[in-house]
Amino acid sequence: MATVEQSHGELEAGAAGELVPGAGDHTLVQPDETHTGVANAKLGMWLFLASDCLFFGAFIATFLLYRDRAGQTGPTPSDVFNIPFTSVTSFVLLMSSLTMVLALAAIQRGDHRRFRVWVMATALFGATFIGGQIFEFTEFTRKGLNIDTNLFGSSFYVLTGLHGAHVTVGIIWLLSLWGLSMQNRLTQGDAERVEVAGLYWHFVDVVWIVIFTVIYLLPK
Amino acid sequence: MSDVTEAPEGTSPDVEAGRVVDLPQGDLAYRMSHAPANLLPGELRAHPDPYQYVVVAVVLAVITAIEIAVSYMEGDIPDAVIVVLLLVMMAVKFFLVASWFMHLRTDRPVFRRLFIMGAIAAPLLYLVVLATLHGVLAGS
Repeated sequence: MATVEQSHGELEAGAAGELVPGAGDHTLVQPDETHTGVANAKLGMWLFLASDCLFFGAFIATFLLYRDRAGQTGPTPSDVFNIPFTSVTSFVLLMSSLTMVLALAAIQRGDHRRFRVWVMATALFGATFIGGQIFEFTEFTRKGLNIDTNLFGSSFYVLTGLHGAHVTVGIIWLLSLWGLSMQNRLTQGDAERVEVAGLYWHFVDVVWIVIFTVIYLLPK
Repeated sequence: MSDVTEAPEGTSPDVEAGRVVDLPQGDLAYRMSHAPANLLPGELRAHPDPYQYVVVAVVLAVITAIEIAVSYMEGDIPDAVIVVLLLVMMAVKFFLVASWFMHLRTDRPVFRRLFIMGAIAAPLLYLVVLATLHGVLAGS
Protein backbone atom coordinates (compact mmCIF):
# COMPACT_ATOMS: atom_id res chain seq x y z
CA MET A 1 0.00 0.00 0.00
CA ALA A 2 2.79 2.31 0.90
CA THR A 3 4.37 1.57 -2.45
CA VAL A 4 1.15 2.44 -4.28
CA GLU A 5 0.87 5.75 -2.46
CA GLN A 6 4.49 6.49 -3.19
CA SER A 7 3.92 5.76 -6.86
CA HIS A 8 0.91 8.05 -6.86
CA GLY A 9 3.00 10.80 -5.38
CA GLU A 10 5.57 10.39 -8.12
CA LEU A 11 2.88 10.37 -10.78
CA GLU A 12 1.39 13.60 -9.49
CA ALA A 13 4.80 15.22 -9.42
CA GLY A 14 5.48 14.02 -12.96
CA ALA A 15 2.05 15.00 -14.24
CA ALA A 16 2.53 18.49 -12.86
CA GLY A 17 5.02 19.07 -15.64
CA GLU A 18 8.43 20.61 -15.40
CA LEU A 19 7.27 23.91 -14.01
CA VAL A 20 5.00 24.39 -11.04
CA PRO A 21 3.46 27.85 -10.70
CA GLY A 22 4.52 29.34 -7.41
CA ALA A 23 3.81 32.64 -5.76
CA GLY A 24 4.38 34.85 -8.75
CA ASP A 25 7.30 32.75 -9.92
CA HIS A 26 8.13 29.33 -11.39
CA THR A 27 9.73 26.53 -9.44
CA LEU A 28 11.55 23.71 -11.22
CA VAL A 29 10.43 20.20 -10.44
CA GLN A 30 13.57 18.31 -9.50
CA PRO A 31 14.54 15.57 -11.97
CA ASP A 32 14.48 13.01 -9.16
CA GLU A 33 10.72 13.54 -9.05
CA THR A 34 10.30 12.22 -12.58
CA HIS A 35 10.19 8.51 -13.37
CA THR A 36 13.34 8.67 -15.48
CA GLY A 37 15.34 10.83 -13.09
CA VAL A 38 15.88 13.43 -15.81
CA ALA A 39 13.73 16.39 -16.82
CA ASN A 40 10.87 15.34 -19.09
CA ALA A 41 11.12 18.30 -21.47
CA LYS A 42 14.84 17.74 -22.05
CA LEU A 43 14.40 14.00 -22.51
CA GLY A 44 11.55 14.64 -24.94
CA MET A 45 13.66 17.08 -26.95
CA TRP A 46 16.55 14.60 -27.19
CA LEU A 47 14.14 11.89 -28.37
CA PHE A 48 12.81 14.30 -31.00
CA LEU A 49 16.35 15.17 -32.12
CA ALA A 50 17.28 11.49 -32.41
CA SER A 51 14.27 10.95 -34.66
CA ASP A 52 15.09 14.13 -36.62
CA CYS A 53 18.52 12.63 -37.40
CA LEU A 54 16.70 9.91 -39.33
CA PHE A 55 14.46 12.53 -40.98
CA PHE A 56 17.36 14.58 -42.34
CA GLY A 57 19.38 11.44 -43.03
CA ALA A 58 16.65 10.32 -45.43
CA PHE A 59 16.77 13.56 -47.42
CA ILE A 60 20.58 13.73 -47.47
CA ALA A 61 20.68 10.14 -48.73
CA THR A 62 18.08 10.99 -51.38
CA PHE A 63 20.15 13.96 -52.52
CA LEU A 64 23.31 11.84 -52.78
CA LEU A 65 21.41 9.19 -54.68
CA TYR A 66 19.86 11.54 -57.23
CA ARG A 67 22.51 14.28 -57.58
CA ASP A 68 24.58 12.55 -60.22
CA ARG A 69 21.91 10.50 -61.95
CA ALA A 70 22.65 10.25 -65.63
CA GLY A 71 20.37 11.81 -68.20
CA GLN A 72 19.44 14.89 -66.20
CA THR A 73 18.79 18.09 -68.09
CA GLY A 74 19.24 21.59 -66.69
CA PRO A 75 21.83 23.04 -64.32
CA THR A 76 24.12 20.82 -62.24
CA PRO A 77 25.56 21.62 -58.78
CA SER A 78 28.75 23.10 -60.24
CA ASP A 79 26.66 25.41 -62.45
CA VAL A 80 24.72 27.01 -59.61
CA PHE A 81 26.60 26.71 -56.30
CA ASN A 82 28.21 29.90 -54.99
CA ILE A 83 30.59 28.53 -52.34
CA PRO A 84 31.89 31.89 -51.01
CA PHE A 85 28.34 33.15 -50.41
CA THR A 86 27.14 29.91 -48.77
CA SER A 87 30.32 29.87 -46.63
CA VAL A 88 29.37 33.25 -45.18
CA THR A 89 25.82 32.16 -44.33
CA SER A 90 27.17 28.92 -42.85
CA PHE A 91 29.56 30.93 -40.68
CA VAL A 92 26.66 33.12 -39.51
CA LEU A 93 24.65 30.05 -38.47
CA LEU A 94 27.68 28.59 -36.71
CA MET A 95 28.15 31.79 -34.71
CA SER A 96 24.47 31.78 -33.78
CA SER A 97 25.20 28.66 -31.74
CA LEU A 98 27.73 30.67 -29.75
CA THR A 99 25.23 33.44 -29.01
CA MET A 100 22.66 30.78 -28.04
CA VAL A 101 24.91 29.24 -25.36
CA LEU A 102 25.82 32.72 -24.13
CA ALA A 103 22.08 33.42 -23.77
CA LEU A 104 21.68 30.23 -21.73
CA ALA A 105 24.67 31.11 -19.55
CA ALA A 106 23.16 34.57 -18.97
CA ILE A 107 19.72 33.29 -17.88
CA GLN A 108 21.38 30.69 -15.64
CA ARG A 109 23.08 33.42 -13.66
CA GLY A 110 19.98 35.63 -13.71
CA ASP A 111 21.41 38.25 -16.06
CA HIS A 112 18.22 39.05 -17.98
CA ARG A 113 19.62 42.02 -19.88
CA ARG A 114 22.39 39.97 -21.46
CA PHE A 115 20.00 37.08 -22.04
CA ARG A 116 17.78 39.35 -24.15
CA VAL A 117 20.76 40.66 -26.10
CA TRP A 118 22.14 37.20 -26.88
CA VAL A 119 18.82 35.55 -27.68
CA MET A 120 17.92 38.41 -30.02
CA ALA A 121 21.36 38.16 -31.64
CA THR A 122 20.74 34.44 -32.18
CA ALA A 123 17.37 35.12 -33.80
CA LEU A 124 18.92 37.82 -36.03
CA PHE A 125 21.74 35.48 -37.10
CA GLY A 126 19.10 32.88 -37.92
CA ALA A 127 17.11 35.45 -39.91
CA THR A 128 20.29 36.41 -41.79
CA PHE A 129 20.83 32.76 -42.68
CA ILE A 130 17.24 32.46 -43.94
CA GLY A 131 17.67 35.68 -45.93
CA GLY A 132 20.77 34.18 -47.52
CA GLN A 133 18.89 31.02 -48.36
CA ILE A 134 16.07 32.98 -50.02
CA PHE A 135 18.67 34.92 -52.04
CA GLU A 136 20.38 31.66 -53.02
CA PHE A 137 17.10 30.06 -54.11
CA THR A 138 16.26 33.16 -56.16
CA GLU A 139 19.65 33.04 -57.89
CA PHE A 140 19.28 29.33 -58.64
CA THR A 141 15.83 29.94 -60.13
CA ARG A 142 17.30 32.68 -62.35
CA LYS A 143 19.91 30.18 -63.53
CA GLY A 144 17.14 27.81 -64.54
CA LEU A 145 17.10 25.43 -61.56
CA ASN A 146 13.58 24.95 -60.23
CA ILE A 147 12.20 22.25 -57.98
CA ASP A 148 10.85 20.38 -61.03
CA THR A 149 13.81 20.96 -63.37
CA ASN A 150 15.65 17.73 -62.58
CA LEU A 151 16.33 15.24 -59.77
CA PHE A 152 19.18 17.39 -58.42
CA GLY A 153 16.85 20.40 -58.16
CA SER A 154 14.06 18.43 -56.49
CA SER A 155 16.28 16.77 -53.87
CA PHE A 156 18.26 19.99 -53.25
CA TYR A 157 15.26 22.28 -52.72
CA VAL A 158 13.44 19.74 -50.53
CA LEU A 159 16.47 19.11 -48.30
CA THR A 160 17.61 22.70 -47.85
CA GLY A 161 14.02 23.97 -47.75
CA LEU A 162 13.17 21.61 -44.88
CA HIS A 163 16.27 22.75 -43.04
CA GLY A 164 15.23 26.36 -43.61
CA ALA A 165 11.79 25.53 -42.19
CA HIS A 166 13.48 24.15 -39.07
CA VAL A 167 15.53 27.35 -38.73
CA THR A 168 12.36 29.45 -39.13
CA VAL A 169 10.62 27.51 -36.35
CA GLY A 170 13.72 28.07 -34.20
CA ILE A 171 13.63 31.83 -34.85
CA ILE A 172 9.95 31.99 -33.81
CA TRP A 173 10.77 30.00 -30.66
CA LEU A 174 13.67 32.32 -29.75
CA LEU A 175 11.59 35.43 -30.35
CA SER A 176 8.86 34.04 -28.09
CA LEU A 177 11.47 33.53 -25.33
CA TRP A 178 12.68 37.09 -25.88
CA GLY A 179 9.08 38.35 -25.65
CA LEU A 180 8.48 36.41 -22.41
CA SER A 181 11.67 37.85 -20.97
CA MET A 182 10.63 41.39 -21.94
CA GLN A 183 7.39 40.85 -20.02
CA ASN A 184 9.39 39.51 -17.03
CA ARG A 185 7.70 36.13 -17.44
CA LEU A 186 10.97 34.24 -17.86
CA THR A 187 12.88 33.79 -14.64
CA GLN A 188 16.24 32.31 -13.71
CA GLY A 189 14.34 29.15 -12.72
CA ASP A 190 13.16 28.81 -16.34
CA ALA A 191 16.70 28.21 -17.63
CA GLU A 192 15.71 24.69 -18.60
CA ARG A 193 13.15 26.08 -21.08
CA VAL A 194 15.92 28.11 -22.69
CA GLU A 195 18.20 25.06 -22.73
CA VAL A 196 15.56 22.96 -24.53
CA ALA A 197 15.16 25.70 -27.16
CA GLY A 198 18.96 25.83 -27.38
CA LEU A 199 19.19 22.09 -28.00
CA TYR A 200 16.84 22.49 -30.96
CA TRP A 201 18.85 25.43 -32.28
CA HIS A 202 22.20 23.63 -31.99
CA PHE A 203 20.74 20.60 -33.73
CA VAL A 204 19.72 22.79 -36.65
CA ASP A 205 23.32 24.00 -36.70
CA VAL A 206 24.87 20.50 -36.68
CA VAL A 207 22.53 19.42 -39.48
CA TRP A 208 23.78 22.38 -41.53
CA ILE A 209 27.39 21.39 -40.74
CA VAL A 210 26.64 18.06 -42.45
CA ILE A 211 24.65 19.60 -45.33
CA PHE A 212 27.30 22.24 -46.04
CA THR A 213 30.08 19.67 -46.27
CA VAL A 214 28.21 16.87 -48.04
CA ILE A 215 26.11 18.95 -50.44
CA TYR A 216 28.30 21.97 -51.17
CA LEU A 217 31.96 21.12 -50.50
CA LEU A 218 32.56 17.50 -51.41
CA PRO A 219 34.02 17.07 -54.92
CA LYS A 220 31.40 16.26 -57.54
CA MET B 1 30.66 44.75 9.26
CA SER B 2 32.27 41.40 8.57
CA ASP B 3 32.69 40.18 5.01
CA VAL B 4 32.65 36.55 6.18
CA THR B 5 29.22 34.96 6.01
CA GLU B 6 27.65 31.53 6.11
CA ALA B 7 28.27 29.87 2.74
CA PRO B 8 25.06 28.74 1.03
CA GLU B 9 25.17 25.47 -0.90
CA GLY B 10 25.81 25.53 -4.64
CA THR B 11 27.46 28.91 -4.74
CA SER B 12 30.81 29.96 -6.16
CA PRO B 13 34.08 28.68 -4.64
CA ASP B 14 34.79 31.98 -2.91
CA VAL B 15 31.43 31.92 -1.19
CA GLU B 16 31.84 28.27 -0.26
CA ALA B 17 35.15 29.13 1.36
CA GLY B 18 33.23 31.44 3.66
CA ARG B 19 34.10 34.72 1.95
CA VAL B 20 31.67 36.81 -0.02
CA VAL B 21 33.75 38.66 -2.57
CA ASP B 22 32.47 42.15 -3.16
CA LEU B 23 33.26 42.56 -6.85
CA PRO B 24 31.14 44.37 -9.41
CA GLN B 25 28.59 41.90 -10.77
CA GLY B 26 28.77 43.38 -14.26
CA ASP B 27 32.46 42.63 -14.55
CA LEU B 28 32.88 40.13 -17.41
CA ALA B 29 36.09 38.59 -16.03
CA TYR B 30 34.41 38.01 -12.67
CA ARG B 31 31.44 36.36 -14.31
CA MET B 32 33.65 34.17 -16.50
CA SER B 33 35.70 32.93 -13.55
CA HIS B 34 32.63 32.24 -11.41
CA ALA B 35 30.47 29.94 -13.50
CA PRO B 36 27.21 29.05 -11.75
CA ALA B 37 27.63 25.87 -9.75
CA ASN B 38 23.90 25.16 -9.41
CA LEU B 39 23.10 22.31 -11.77
CA LEU B 40 20.11 22.14 -14.08
CA PRO B 41 18.00 18.98 -14.20
CA GLY B 42 19.87 16.21 -16.04
CA GLU B 43 23.35 17.67 -15.54
CA LEU B 44 26.21 15.76 -13.94
CA ARG B 45 28.62 18.69 -14.02
CA ALA B 46 28.21 22.42 -14.46
CA HIS B 47 28.08 23.82 -17.99
CA PRO B 48 31.23 25.35 -19.46
CA ASP B 49 31.78 29.04 -18.78
CA PRO B 50 31.37 31.74 -21.48
CA TYR B 51 35.13 31.91 -22.11
CA GLN B 52 35.20 28.19 -23.00
CA TYR B 53 32.22 28.70 -25.33
CA VAL B 54 34.09 31.46 -27.16
CA VAL B 55 37.19 29.26 -27.52
CA VAL B 56 35.08 26.45 -29.01
CA ALA B 57 33.45 28.92 -31.42
CA VAL B 58 36.87 30.16 -32.56
CA VAL B 59 38.00 26.57 -33.17
CA LEU B 60 34.80 25.94 -35.17
CA ALA B 61 35.42 29.07 -37.26
CA VAL B 62 39.02 28.04 -37.98
CA ILE B 63 37.97 24.52 -39.02
CA THR B 64 35.30 25.98 -41.31
CA ALA B 65 37.91 28.22 -42.95
CA ILE B 66 40.20 25.21 -43.48
CA GLU B 67 37.28 23.22 -44.92
CA ILE B 68 36.57 25.91 -47.51
CA ALA B 69 40.28 26.19 -48.39
CA VAL B 70 40.51 22.41 -48.85
CA SER B 71 37.43 22.40 -51.10
CA TYR B 72 39.25 24.83 -53.45
CA MET B 73 42.17 22.41 -53.80
CA GLU B 74 40.17 20.22 -56.17
CA GLY B 75 42.57 19.22 -58.95
CA ASP B 76 45.68 19.97 -56.88
CA ILE B 77 45.33 17.01 -54.56
CA PRO B 78 43.48 13.71 -55.15
CA ASP B 79 39.71 13.86 -54.65
CA ALA B 80 39.89 10.95 -52.22
CA VAL B 81 42.14 12.99 -49.92
CA ILE B 82 39.79 15.97 -50.13
CA VAL B 83 36.79 13.77 -49.29
CA VAL B 84 38.54 12.24 -46.26
CA LEU B 85 39.75 15.63 -44.98
CA LEU B 86 36.33 17.25 -45.37
CA LEU B 87 34.51 14.36 -43.69
CA VAL B 88 36.95 14.33 -40.77
CA MET B 89 36.60 18.10 -40.27
CA MET B 90 32.81 17.81 -40.52
CA ALA B 91 32.84 15.09 -37.83
CA VAL B 92 35.05 17.22 -35.56
CA LYS B 93 32.71 20.21 -35.91
CA PHE B 94 29.68 17.99 -35.26
CA PHE B 95 31.37 16.55 -32.17
CA LEU B 96 32.37 19.99 -30.83
CA VAL B 97 28.87 21.46 -31.14
CA ALA B 98 27.17 18.36 -29.70
CA SER B 99 29.53 17.92 -26.77
CA TRP B 100 30.16 21.57 -25.78
CA PHE B 101 27.18 23.60 -26.99
CA MET B 102 24.60 20.83 -26.50
CA HIS B 103 26.30 19.88 -23.23
CA LEU B 104 26.53 16.16 -23.93
CA ARG B 105 29.86 16.05 -22.10
CA THR B 106 28.35 17.40 -18.89
CA ASP B 107 24.82 15.95 -19.00
CA ARG B 108 23.65 12.51 -17.98
CA PRO B 109 24.70 9.71 -20.36
CA VAL B 110 21.10 8.89 -21.30
CA PHE B 111 20.97 11.99 -23.56
CA ARG B 112 24.25 11.05 -25.21
CA ARG B 113 23.05 7.52 -25.85
CA LEU B 114 19.80 8.74 -27.40
CA PHE B 115 21.58 11.14 -29.73
CA ILE B 116 24.30 8.66 -30.69
CA MET B 117 21.59 6.12 -31.46
CA GLY B 118 20.03 8.53 -33.95
CA ALA B 119 23.30 9.95 -35.28
CA ILE B 120 24.82 6.49 -35.89
CA ALA B 121 21.62 4.74 -36.98
CA ALA B 122 20.80 7.34 -39.64
CA PRO B 123 24.00 7.05 -41.73
CA LEU B 124 24.14 3.27 -41.27
CA LEU B 125 20.55 2.82 -42.37
CA TYR B 126 20.88 5.11 -45.35
CA LEU B 127 24.22 3.67 -46.42
CA VAL B 128 22.43 0.36 -46.78
CA VAL B 129 19.58 2.02 -48.68
CA LEU B 130 22.01 3.96 -50.89
CA ALA B 131 24.04 0.86 -51.67
CA THR B 132 20.90 -1.09 -52.51
CA LEU B 133 19.17 1.60 -54.57
CA HIS B 134 22.33 2.68 -56.35
CA GLY B 135 22.70 -0.85 -57.63
CA VAL B 136 19.03 -1.04 -58.63
CA LEU B 137 19.02 2.37 -60.33
CA ALA B 138 22.34 1.77 -62.07
CA GLY B 139 20.99 -1.47 -63.46
CA SER B 140 17.74 0.07 -64.68
